[in-house]
Amino acid sequence: MSAEITKVGIICCSGEAIPEGTISRLATRRVLELLRPNATVTLCLPLFLAGNEGERNFAKTHPTITIDGCGKQCAKWGTEEHSGPVNAALVVTDILGTRATGCHRSSRHAAQPEKEAVWAVAERIAAEVDNVLAETEPRDAAGAASGAQCSCSSPLPGGKLTISGTAVTIPGLSLIFEQCAERNIPADAAGCAALLDTVKIYHRILPEEEDEYRSALLAAYRDFRNGCKAAN
Amino acid sequence: MENEPVENSVLVIPCSGIGKVHGLISREAAYLVTDELAPGRTETMCLALLVKGDPEAVEAVRTHACIAIDGCAKACAEKNVQIAGGSVAKAIQVAEAFRNHRGARPGSATMLTDEGWTITREIAGSIVSEVERLRAGEEVAR
Repeated sequence: MSAEITKVGIICCSGEAIPEGTISRLATRRVLELLRPNATVTLCLPLFLAGNEGERNFAKTHPTITIDGCGKQCAKWGTEEHSGPVNAALVVTDILGTRATGCHRSSRHAAQPEKEAVWAVAERIAAEVDNVLAETEPRDAAGAASGAQCSCSSPLPGGKLTISGTAVTIPGLSLIFEQCAERNIPADAAGCAALLDTVKIYHRILPEEEDEYRSALLAAYRDFRNGCKAAN
Repeated sequence: MENEPVENSVLVIPCSGIGKVHGLISREAAYLVTDELAPGRTETMCLALLVKGDPEAVEAVRTHACIAIDGCAKACAEKNVQIAGGSVAKAIQVAEAFRNHRGARPGSATMLTDEGWTITREIAGSIVSEVERLRAGEEVAR
């Protein structure tokens, strides 16, 4: 049996009635798409009742983290009742405290407070994924493949840079650029440091490689910004 | 009041599926209806509360007319309302709205494009029509 990296299941409440439910949903997507794309999968919580046996076995086939918007902890309760025990249970209000105050339920009204809240929760989830993976034995490939997962949970394609003549893939590079553009980081020498710092959060860059990454990122970021302007 | 609908309001319950854009459309359509197009006449609630079996949520779906919006054929919103003992007056499938938008690029599970918002508004408009029929005591076509 060949060993395969265990994927951590993330199940959020997506609570529709409160802004923290929206934050739980978006933060989960952020982890799946950008922060830990190759280490995580998800499933819609309501599928535990509406789905089939494979879906109900989700928490039995994956180490699972639940993300709840409020202290009612519906995701934790629902997962443990209908699927299996969870490895960790996070609550948005515990993570953000009063920082979610003023956030909106709909993404139409998303502004800086919502974006910062989503990033803060996403980074907390990613840290918990690392903790769970560190405590979990890799499962055999057949066992890992048998678990249910959402068909759209596959990671975002990465962006490619050429560093020292070698193509390097950075997961979710376009999302990183999008975030930088929203933060008004300029596509010039002044923005280079911020650009590099942001990418370093998600991609390991050795000190001796920084100059080359800086140049390659700036060129790619300029193309991205020009593409955005052209699209508008 | 969160998750406690006012009397005579219609509950609009989206699936909020996390894997596809259709789930986001269902969620945003519900917010358009409850926050902008028919506030006071409609409310939404956390579907997860029904999965949990929360007594207040179960009572709410049993005593209010419910409109379910589902992103995929698994119909989690519709089924969970029914499992809780509620009656779904109208079940909406987001995919149906795409019939008039072949080839549309609505966005992702995280963000809607302008096309995605157009489809969302159409769904929200149809929900408001159903809400008015329900409140007028007319039969709602399935």
